Amino acid sequence: MNDGTTGKAGETPPPLVTLPEFDEESYLRLNPDVLVAVAVGKFRSGREHYEHYGRVEGRLAVAPRDLPRDKIIITARPGCAEEAPPVPAGAVDTIKLSSAGGLFVAGWANDSLDRLDTVELYVAGWSIAFSASGLARVRRPDAEQAAGLNIPYALGFWGFIYAGRRLPAGTCNVVMRLKSGAELSLIVNIEPLDDLELRGTVLNHLATAQYTGPAYFNAVSSIGRAIGTQLVDFSQMLTRKAVSAPYIERFHQSGRTPKASVIVCLYGKPDYLALQQALFSQQAEAQDYEFIYVCNSQALAEVLLRDAAIAQLAYGLDITLILLGANAGFAAANNLGAVHARANRLIFMNPDVFPKGAEFARRHLAQIEELPASRTDIFGAALYYDDGSLMHAGMYFEADTIPGFTLGQKEDVTILRVEHYGKGAPPQDATLLRPRPVPAVTGAFMSMNRAWFEALEGFSQDYIFGHYEDADLCLRSLEAGRPAWLADLRLYHLEGKGSARQPVHEGASAVNRWLFTQSWMEPLRETLLGPAPTNAALAEAKR
Amino acid sequence: MKILIIAMYHPELVRGGSQQVAHELFQGLKDVPGVESVLLCSADHNSPAMFKSGARITGFDQRENEYLFLSHDYDYVWQKLPLPLQAQAFAEFLKRINPDVVHFHHFMTYGIDYLTLTRSILPKVRIVFTAHEFLTICAAEGHMVRKTDGALCEQASQVRCHQCLPHRSPEEFFLREQWMKAHLQAVDIFTVPSRFMVEFYARWGLDAEKFLHVPNGLQMPPLPAQAARPARRNRFGFFGQMVDVKGLHVLLEAVNLLRAEGFEDFAVEINGENIHFASPERRREVEAFLAEEAQRPLAERRVSFNGGYHHGQLAARMARVDWVLVPSTWWEIFCLVISEAWHFGRPVIASNQGGPAERITDGKDGLLFELGDARALAEAMRRAATEAGLWETLAGGITPPTSREAMVQGYLAAYEAARRKQKLAAE
Repeated sequence: MNDGTTGKAGETPPPLVTLPEFDEESYLRLNPDVLVAVAVGKFRSGREHYEHYGRVEGRLAVAPRDLPRDKIIITARPGCAEEAPPVPAGAVDTIKLSSAGGLFVAGWANDSLDRLDTVELYVAGWSIAFSASGLARVRRPDAEQAAGLNIPYALGFWGFIYAGRRLPAGTCNVVMRLKSGAELSLIVNIEPLDDLELRGTVLNHLATAQYTGPAYFNAVSSIGRAIGTQLVDFSQMLTRKAVSAPYIERFHQSGRTPKASVIVCLYGKPDYLALQQALFSQQAEAQDYEFIYVCNSQALAEVLLRDAAIAQLAYGLDITLILLGANAGFAAANNLGAVHARANRLIFMNPDVFPKGAEFARRHLAQIEELPASRTDIFGAALYYDDGSLMHAGMYFEADTIPGFTLGQKEDVTILRVEHYGKGAPPQDATLLRPRPVPAVTGAFMSMNRAWFEALEGFSQDYIFGHYEDADLCLRSLEAGRPAWLADLRLYHLEGKGSARQPVHEGASAVNRWLFTQSWMEPLRETLLGPAPTNAALAEAKR
Repeated sequence: MKILIIAMYHPELVRGGSQQVAHELFQGLKDVPGVESVLLCSADHNSPAMFKSGARITGFDQRENEYLFLSHDYDYVWQKLPLPLQAQAFAEFLKRINPDVVHFHHFMTYGIDYLTLTRSILPKVRIVFTAHEFLTICAAEGHMVRKTDGALCEQASQVRCHQCLPHRSPEEFFLREQWMKAHLQAVDIFTVPSRFMVEFYARWGLDAEKFLHVPNGLQMPPLPAQAARPARRNRFGFFGQMVDVKGLHVLLEAVNLLRAEGFEDFAVEINGENIHFASPERRREVEAFLAEEAQRPLAERRVSFNGGYHHGQLAARMARVDWVLVPSTWWEIFCLVISEAWHFGRPVIASNQGGPAERITDGKDGLLFELGDARALAEAMRRAATEAGLWETLAGGITPPTSREAMVQGYLAAYEAARRKQKLAAE
């Protein structure tokens, strides 16, 4: 690399010729780097520099007469020199590779002036170039400090790709390339990781990263260009694996034919099986229901097996326990539960949902018998908080937009939000409680005709862990002409108390919100946003 | 009629009021013609030697009709035992004994869900539940004393309970109430040793009609020969567990106040144990007081600590005092110590709430002072020690405590009420 000013002067300089276009004093004034180089003895004179480098670089050698006022003038032609740009500051924190080919890279580069273009990984047997536009950019206060930046800047980056095949780990040559062509080359050892652990790492990273603007919008939009699709693919593979070999134990009394199968997805907390059985068994006609508990937490297996055995002895309801070796998520667990259900009526119910009043079970079955199928193929119920107020009575959708500049990008960002009718309202608000078609009902309690559930192919397993798959199912039902109904039924929902929530779930929630927005923004935009949507199928159902 | 009595702990393994009453009942029922009683007491880590490999229920010390339920890994949060084999053993035991009445004196170490389990296994059995405290209502040891400020609590709610136990959410307490009530539905008749408890349970949502008042009755030791009348009635005795809610700290503070006033013509004897169950702060406070007291010259000592006592020592310990002090800072559900004091003719000076307030008539058979108020106790003690004739008046007002036989008759009435209730429901 030779930038002209750092080049060493020759031992025997060529004879100096007076050049009409050259003026030593003007040259040194116009080129302060040369002035410094001459002062430290690298060149004997400005002219020597000019002869060797300056001319080729297109440097001005004579001060233009009548220099224009208040205007920048260019004194050299940029790009003419063959000089290489400086090495950027940066580092790679980690590269993790899972056994199924999930690849996660995180690091930082000071590209505040010269934007990052690619992050290239070269390993024996494979290589990949992450395009910078597909990487998520996050703040790294430590790097900002190292780079001497006074304003927050997203120097950090991370990327994820799912190769779908086993790749050898080992030593990796990483090249971070900036738009100017400047590059930083590093040697990094790739850390091999379990697939599930890698998913957790990535989602955790997404949830806990720092951003320059609004964090949640940033998180959702940062994965939109490439990472989101890759994560969904990767997670789908893990879900398929998790549900492929369930352990199933039935605590049944022989000769029973349930009228409804209650499918409950458990995660993190085992307490709710016993509590739900104790309380549900008090219901009139409780014996017409069977319960299918699908557990996404490996660690709960022993406790649940014990509790189910005690519950069968004490309460006598039929229980099927399906234990999974890994977290398959809400959608896949419920779909699996549906496969093992014996009744034609499926109820998807959270573990922290409990009937309000002793007549719930009877009334639920009565409504299915009495009401037209169009109202019972898919319906939800009014849910209440423990404090007595209404939690909600149906769901609708809103879109939130934020100016692009707050995220450091040109385009504004819009993401969909699921909103609830009557959150915290007085318990007996007739307007909220009246049976009616609604844009969606919550998966915390959803009653479905089994045939309709199967026709819709169940919950979408694209959503990671949980959130938005219930709204997605309702919207697919609505698209197929059958909107979800809010029925005249009431339950308690101790929201969020039935499972253990961690940062990875927040990360998954961000991915799901991105996916939900991606899938439903266009269909919703015209007629399905807001608490009073004008959608034709909804209006038709109301009639 | 066959009656299965279920108790937390055997009183000979772990002492405590509810198991003592359950055992008294078991013994008392033996004398009732046509009645067979079986006693099932739990044992847990407190009695490791009682455990036998592979056994879940065993006999006890070659006693006829006494069994031990070997409990472990109990879930104190939800009050349940997460052991299916234990539940199966209990179910088998119920079928084998096949009682007409199952009388629960406690559920802890078994699980509140054992009420439902009993109903499930024996659908027609009469289930009687005796509440010896408020554990179904109150997760803070069933005391209904606010952990926030030590005030007495009259009403549980999910927010108030969360304030007492902040690591548990209001939702959890909401669910706890539902869980408890779901299982209490299996009960035909509730009994309580003090009437005031009925109001608490009714306020909580249980049907007051299902409650009967059956005071605890003990088989008392014979009275000693009449001792010579002491010239002064200035000796006070504390009997009981040295845990916070028994209010020993209030008594010691009262002693400090009397000393500060220059009144020293009295003696206090402390008979108790289990100070290791007290909170660390109270324990330090009590132990520091007793240590300082022990350092005083004999003539200046006003408080002496006698340690724990067994039933056979009660007469001797009572003979050393004129008055029995019950400075409890909780509702003190029944207070067997009052029964014991009365049996030996000792008037009681007690806090003016809960069981003592219900049993003692101030100025007739004892004295009541403001609960938790050390100055009020000091004044009552000074009056008791100095007012001529007071002791004789109050001792003369004492009515004999409920006998074991009376208690047995009370419970037989409860079993009969449960039968009538079931018959009514069937019709």
